[in-house]
Amino acid sequence: MSSSDQLPVLQVRDLQAHFRTRYFGVNREVRAVDGVSFDVRGNEIYGLAGESSSGKTTLIKTIAGLLKPPLEMVGGSARFAFLPEWDAIGRAPPEVVRRIRWRHLSYIMQGSMNVLNPLRRVRHSFRDFAWRHLGGSKSEFDTRAAAHLERVRLDPSVLAAYPHELSGGMRQRVTIALATICKPEFIIADEPTTALDVVVQKEVLGMLRAIQREMGSSVLFITHDMGVHAALTDRLGIMYAGRLVEDGETPEIFARPLHPYTRHLIASLPRIGDVEQREGLEGTPPNLAAPPPGCRFHPRCPLAMPVCATTVPAMVETLPGHRVACHAINPGAAA
Amino acid sequence: MSALLELDRVSKSFSRGGLFSTRRVEAVKEVSFALDDGTPEIFTVIGESGSGKSTLARMILGIHAPSGGQVRLTGRDVASYERHAFMAQVQPIFQNPFEAFNPLKRLDHYLFMTAERFGAAAGRSAAEAGADEALRQVGLSLAEISGRFPHELSGGQLQRVAIARALVAKPRLIVADEPVSMVDASLRMSIVNLFGRLRDQLGLSIIYITHDLATAYYISDRLIIMQKGVVVEEGPARTVLSNPTHPYSRQLRDAVLTPDSAGAFRAGHSRKAVATPGATP
Amino acid sequence: MLVILRDLIRYNLEFRIGLVLVAIVLVMAGLSFVSPYPPGEVYLVPPDIPPSAAYWLGTTSRGQDVFWQLTFAIRNTLSFGIMVAVLSRLIALVVGLLAGYSGGWIDRVLMSINDTFIIIPLFPILILFYFVLRDTMSTPLLAMIMACLGWAYDARLIRSVALSLKTREFTQTSIFSGMKTREILAREHLPYVLPIVFSTTMNNMNWSIGIEVTLAVLGFTDINTPTIGGMIYWANQHTALVAGIWWWIAFPVALVVMTFVGLFLLAVSMNEYIDPRSRLARMGGSR
Repeated sequence: MSSSDQLPVLQVRDLQAHFRTRYFGVNREVRAVDGVSFDVRGNEIYGLAGESSSGKTTLIKTIAGLLKPPLEMVGGSARFAFLPEWDAIGRAPPEVVRRIRWRHLSYIMQGSMNVLNPLRRVRHSFRDFAWRHLGGSKSEFDTRAAAHLERVRLDPSVLAAYPHELSGGMRQRVTIALATICKPEFIIADEPTTALDVVVQKEVLGMLRAIQREMGSSVLFITHDMGVHAALTDRLGIMYAGRLVEDGETPEIFARPLHPYTRHLIASLPRIGDVEQREGLEGTPPNLAAPPPGCRFHPRCPLAMPVCATTVPAMVETLPGHRVACHAINPGAAA
Repeated sequence: MSALLELDRVSKSFSRGGLFSTRRVEAVKEVSFALDDGTPEIFTVIGESGSGKSTLARMILGIHAPSGGQVRLTGRDVASYERHAFMAQVQPIFQNPFEAFNPLKRLDHYLFMTAERFGAAAGRSAAEAGADEALRQVGLSLAEISGRFPHELSGGQLQRVAIARALVAKPRLIVADEPVSMVDASLRMSIVNLFGRLRDQLGLSIIYITHDLATAYYISDRLIIMQKGVVVEEGPARTVLSNPTHPYSRQLRDAVLTPDSAGAFRAGHSRKAVATPGATP
Repeated sequence: MLVILRDLIRYNLEFRIGLVLVAIVLVMAGLSFVSPYPPGEVYLVPPDIPPSAAYWLGTTSRGQDVFWQLTFAIRNTLSFGIMVAVLSRLIALVVGLLAGYSGGWIDRVLMSINDTFIIIPLFPILILFYFVLRDTMSTPLLAMIMACLGWAYDARLIRSVALSLKTREFTQTSIFSGMKTREILAREHLPYVLPIVFSTTMNNMNWSIGIEVTLAVLGFTDINTPTIGGMIYWANQHTALVAGIWWWIAFPVALVVMTFVGLFLLAVSMNEYIDPRSRLARMGGSR
């Protein structure tokens, strides 16, 4: 299985986004995303793993241009192939953003009720989002919507229902259908199945994968659940404290995790059928308003060396297609 | 052989609806199990949302009264137990560590309060000693926690403080409702391991409520699986999860995604997740 | 505390203006203690003199210096307002917290009483009380009556906060830590309820002062103790506006409007600061 297209659909270079509060004498700058670089290629699912305060949610907000004070994009770029003139959506004017939103870039959020209007039938949500892009008369559009639903194996009668009449899993599947009706090149999925039951999660993820395969879109999939990443994604990036620490093909990362944090993350999770003793990691994720200097993982790292406290390690391609930012693995590589 | 905790055909139904139409929702239907007094164990209740597991937890804690059947603690009906005496023996741990404590108050306030009310601590220094001892058992110390507010700690640390607070009362049973689902993955196992230590070193029994089959497999002694308020399967944890017999249990087990589930959805595979132990692509 | 005050003054325009206005009013009230003229006596100075160097705000037709009379008036009116506000807050807090936390029949009973008090028409009742109590009606008694009529709306607000607090997990933690109900209400829930209490205090003061002024203008209160309303009452009795003695009415009105606006601005600007959630959000606390 390979990812087609030479030019990446999304190129992120040294992206920095901080929360800046200047409030009643308190001056705080939380460096939520501090120098992240990666590519998302065509026709692939790129997973972004990380725990709370890893910065992954802030990262996708920045990439999608959903920046509101106090969140500001401070440096770097996040360039989409379908919008080459602008180095970040957040920097493009509103008309441009309106044109590409939903047609080229769509989102699947964690709460389906954030997207579907609870007071109106589902078909109205479809019209609100997609009619502007697809055009045609109302009935023509409705027919297209029904056809799309059938293609993704949802019953078109769902269009006539109110959101609260559907189950959580069904709603989330409708949200996926909604996000894919315009056949966007890029879909951002932010913890879409975290609130769902395991059984429903499997169905929803299966649907997402099938749609992605069929349309050839790219998906940036964010979740803290390593099991989901293992099952679903083609490539995987691990975030810690606002920085990317490892990235590569998913089977490779799980077979040969290089960064101490990744290795711990994968090793600490229990599996059914296995009673081997697992351990948690010592310490806590750092406070991003005052992060530790150098490598942000060094206070908790079993392989920490003196250089880790002073120099930020660079992302180096250590094995083919497999990058990692760690002094113990790549001595002498400074960012 | 006396029972520490006994659930005897416990049911709970709620009525939903307005003035003229009522619908009864059966959240829990005829659940029975017992925890032995002499053998500390970790007893797990597995269920998804809507299975009734949280309602069951609240009935065990005496927060709701059952609509049918009885919950008995050391032979006595929980409803007839004097509240203070009951809370001295049964303590809770809740799902959301960030909500477990009042954000406006210091954490040690709860530890000292529990020590004074349940820990038979007479005076401040005795309360501090009790709090420190409990904190050490969870891997923290009073010096670290003293004077701190909830927002200064991580989810994992807060949950450990919550466990310490429960320990100060020196209970015999702890009811933990999804204690690690909101804790970061890297910190999760230290809390799960802590439960094991509490059982082995302090002789505490723990009712562990979760939807996560993997941690249930790892730490539980016995378990029950609930679906829509009914127990569909029960037995020793490892046996049930390795070879589930009920269709729902099978469905649950097959849907679990772990780091070994590589390629479950990827091209060339069918929709079923490959979740059998030891299978790597 | 002082840091908060300093920052509010520095950054919040509404707070600055409100603070200035209320300061002026308080200074006026404080000056009453050094007044050269006793408040109740009349015909001490030449009547009907417009504002001038000798008599800064002029004199009334009854031979009183408007300025010094005003200091007593605003002091009495303010203390009346404060008395009503404090008493009614206490009643609202007790009823609201207890009803919200207890639920069940206690809640139903208390809310029925609450709703009854909301519906009671204010003026007819007050006028009824006046006619019944006529001579024994004094300012403290009026304050008590108004406190008993003014707690109902806010008790409901407090109750709704208490209801939501009851479902939060830290309430359970407090229960299992051995705290009794009254301790939980006073120590855990009260801080969340205080923002409402504070902002409604300002509103309540404005409301009670407004009613007092209205009643006094109509002559229903003790008109010998100088209050803002009392001054306006006497001005009307002497047909001041028709006679051209505008300063007798204008300055009391201006001062009471200043009080209203100042209190309102303070309430609005301090609300954001006192609310624990916005304070927490600023600290970067709750997730």
